[in-house]
Amino acid sequence: MSGSSWDELAELALTRVRAAGVEYADIRLLDTTTRTIGGADRRIAQIRESSDRGFGIRVLHRGAWGFAASCILSLEEVPRIADLAVEIAKGSASLAIEKVRLVPEPVHRDRVTTACRLDPFSVPLEEQTALLLNAMEVIQQHPGVVRSSAGLWAQRDRKLLVSTEGTHLEFSLLAVQGECTATALHDGRFACRSFNTPHLRTGYELIRDADFLREGARIAEQAVEKVRAPAVHAGRYDLVLDPEHLSLTMHESCGHPSELDRALGYEANYAGTSFLTPDKRGTYRYGSAVVTLVADNTEAETLAATGYDDDGVTCQRWDIVRDGIFVGYCTNREVAGKIHEERSRGSNRADSWGSVPMVRIANIGLEPGTATLDDLIADVKCGIYIEGHGSYSIDQRRYNFQFGGDAFWLIENGRRTHMLRDVVYHGMTPEFWGKCDGVADRSHRRRYGFITCGKGQPGQSGWMTHAASHARFRRIDVMTGQAKA
Amino acid sequence: MKHSAGDHTVLSIRDVHGGTTRFANNQVIQNVHQRRGTLSITVAFGRQQGSASTTDFTAGAVRETLKQAERIARVSPEDPEYLPPVGAQAYLGLPTSRPETAAAGPARRLDYAREAIGQCKMENLNAAGTVSSSLAVVGLAADTGLTAYEERTEARFSLTVQAGDATGWAAAAHRSLDRLHIQERTLTAISKAKRGDDDPQELPPGRYTVILEPAAVSGLLSGMLWTLDAKSFDKGTSPFSGKLGARIIDRRLSLVNQPDHVDLLGYSFTSEGLPVFGSCWIEAGVLKQLLHDRYTAQQHQVDRIATLESPVFSGERPIGTRVEDLIRTTQRGILVTNFWYIRLVNPSDLTLTGMTRDGTFLVENGEIVSAVRNFRFHDSPLRVFNHLDAYTAPAEAVTSETGKALVPAMRIDDFNFSSVTRF
Repeated sequence: MSGSSWDELAELALTRVRAAGVEYADIRLLDTTTRTIGGADRRIAQIRESSDRGFGIRVLHRGAWGFAASCILSLEEVPRIADLAVEIAKGSASLAIEKVRLVPEPVHRDRVTTACRLDPFSVPLEEQTALLLNAMEVIQQHPGVVRSSAGLWAQRDRKLLVSTEGTHLEFSLLAVQGECTATALHDGRFACRSFNTPHLRTGYELIRDADFLREGARIAEQAVEKVRAPAVHAGRYDLVLDPEHLSLTMHESCGHPSELDRALGYEANYAGTSFLTPDKRGTYRYGSAVVTLVADNTEAETLAATGYDDDGVTCQRWDIVRDGIFVGYCTNREVAGKIHEERSRGSNRADSWGSVPMVRIANIGLEPGTATLDDLIADVKCGIYIEGHGSYSIDQRRYNFQFGGDAFWLIENGRRTHMLRDVVYHGMTPEFWGKCDGVADRSHRRRYGFITCGKGQPGQSGWMTHAASHARFRRIDVMTGQAKA
Repeated sequence: MKHSAGDHTVLSIRDVHGGTTRFANNQVIQNVHQRRGTLSITVAFGRQQGSASTTDFTAGAVRETLKQAERIARVSPEDPEYLPPVGAQAYLGLPTSRPETAAAGPARRLDYAREAIGQCKMENLNAAGTVSSSLAVVGLAADTGLTAYEERTEARFSLTVQAGDATGWAAAAHRSLDRLHIQERTLTAISKAKRGDDDPQELPPGRYTVILEPAAVSGLLSGMLWTLDAKSFDKGTSPFSGKLGARIIDRRLSLVNQPDHVDLLGYSFTSEGLPVFGSCWIEAGVLKQLLHDRYTAQQHQVDRIATLESPVFSGERPIGTRVEDLIRTTQRGILVTNFWYIRLVNPSDLTLTGMTRDGTFLVENGEIVSAVRNFRFHDSPLRVFNHLDAYTAPAEAVTSETGKALVPAMRIDDFNFSSVTRF
């Protein structure tokens, strides 16, 4: 980071907006480097490295927000953009009913750096492309597999956040992920099976430690078994869900409804509102007594653990659901005060220098229980064990959901037997979590992250990690994922 | 270009200025303006290629981006599907830029937001929505003689009106900011919300006759178009495999690409510099085209690669121009304003799921008789568009999940609503 010049630009911006009489302002300067390597059907289809550099100035003036951003980092552009942000805020103020008030936050001066053993950008491209080609070769060698894909992704963010309150934060953050997929064909049908490392804030050791060749062989074999498996019969089943699958269930049915800006109507025109309205906090039964969902933006390596959010608020840990009762929201400095909280939960994040930060889901995880996975399965007479992500859809208040999965196994009389295909289950969020009667212990806990969580207009991609151990849900409605079923 | 060591070099520039005024609870919650320029460089040595991009247009950054693309290309495995960049092309030269949109700034966007909010406040209703406008300058060049340049403007408006537990919605997208019809669309959203606030009844899940407004039809159509790619077709991993030249939907329906249509967001060239042109995709229900890249086009001996950025879906002899023409002739059915969160459930038969949103009503004897609670659907557009009963002439449709299209409102028999939600 060219710290001195960024500091100079930041000071120039804040001096300019202070002179305009703003109540609050901040500037974020960001330099993001992203490397993506994509392979398909035994070939490397793309290697791309992108550098995305710019700044955004956010001002609060006359109780209303203005935001302007530019990719031109110069002594001429910064004051122009600062003036534009103020002008925009004045316009917003002309349509204000309730003035924006930020809850207090101590001033922070700090530097945050991702701990990593191996910088992904220092790893030779030849090594990375060879890994993907070998993984695809292993997958395609399996009889019945007709297609393969594999990819690696890494991102570095160098960021400076400076505010008129005196906060000065420097970040050097990394994130890494890899994946491969097998597609099998049988009798006019096709089916995919995937292996994904989690997205984590760590180094390339995440990729080296994952055994892509072993995992490639496993998913190839399972893709073939899946496409040949019998379709599920519609009915009620007990479900045992793996941590990767649960990461999506938690994200959609707990993460999004616990965003306070949604509960207050800010997303009404796009992502929707929330059934978890503020009047329900502290009393509403979200799930059974074994369901405790904790937001933790302090856990090392997780995507939302960046030390501070884009309000300059310290990352924290708090309860969303405690013993089945809804108790807490994800907030930023703007909305926290609307539910009489004295401090933001530090969940305000933007996806680039050109985006304005908004409330994003924290790293929400299901607290472990005491069972083993075998215990959970042993107590199921007729059920389905589900791994990974499939299709997903949920209504705009986050009640009515439908989830698929990446792989399904029938459970009969306490034993996992053969694979099934075309499994989708559906239900209502509070009833579904109310049917959770067992969670596996901490040794089963795994973390999976999202970097494409869509929200906002213009749309932004949010980043967060969800952790869980396996969990069991009783008598859930399962359908066959076919149009004529 | 002259500093490149590669056998071939392609430069792509996109410079976008634009902003969005976003409102909720009848006040502005977000008001942003952004300028982002991006230069992408792809370099090839033989069949090895690499790409790098930057938002920094200083000479040093451009040189470093070129060097990075070269470094990547030199160590890339050879790509058996690599093709050199295309040479000079002839383009339609469409009027893709409108000065009123290019000139619009935060003040103009705010005026439109004020107009929508004002109408809702007069009705004691709650407005949430956006007004946005942008100008994109797009350029392409390659050492093969390829040069392409275009200015593209785009304006968008969307509005959700809340009346108690009910919502009404309308949206628009156009090259011209003057063609968003803010007042008319605000009144539509208000009308939907007020009608929906009248004690919605819960109907059981099941198979219903439905009247799908253009936005809802567009959602289903988009789900179908995503999977038309030729590579999947060739590998047998497409729901359309083996169906090129076969009838896939009702024989009265056709789908064309019409880039020069004034109400669509067509453009003159693709990201590879290929010319965009009018083309027929489905004719009388028969699939006529696949989505090709240059490699599969060569394999299939396709000379010109057809695109689908300006879709017009239509049927012969429509029964009218407005959804009311369908309502009037319906004995009993469910009127659907829009679908939300549409996702693929089964790639083999193209089963999709999603929820109804922003106005779902029971129609009996030619009239809307009540609001109903929102349903989840579970069906395939290949099945749905074969259960077509009646339809209107195509109309503008834009949703938060699809691009802009011209599609009819449709009455469909035997549509599968698999469950119901709480509101």
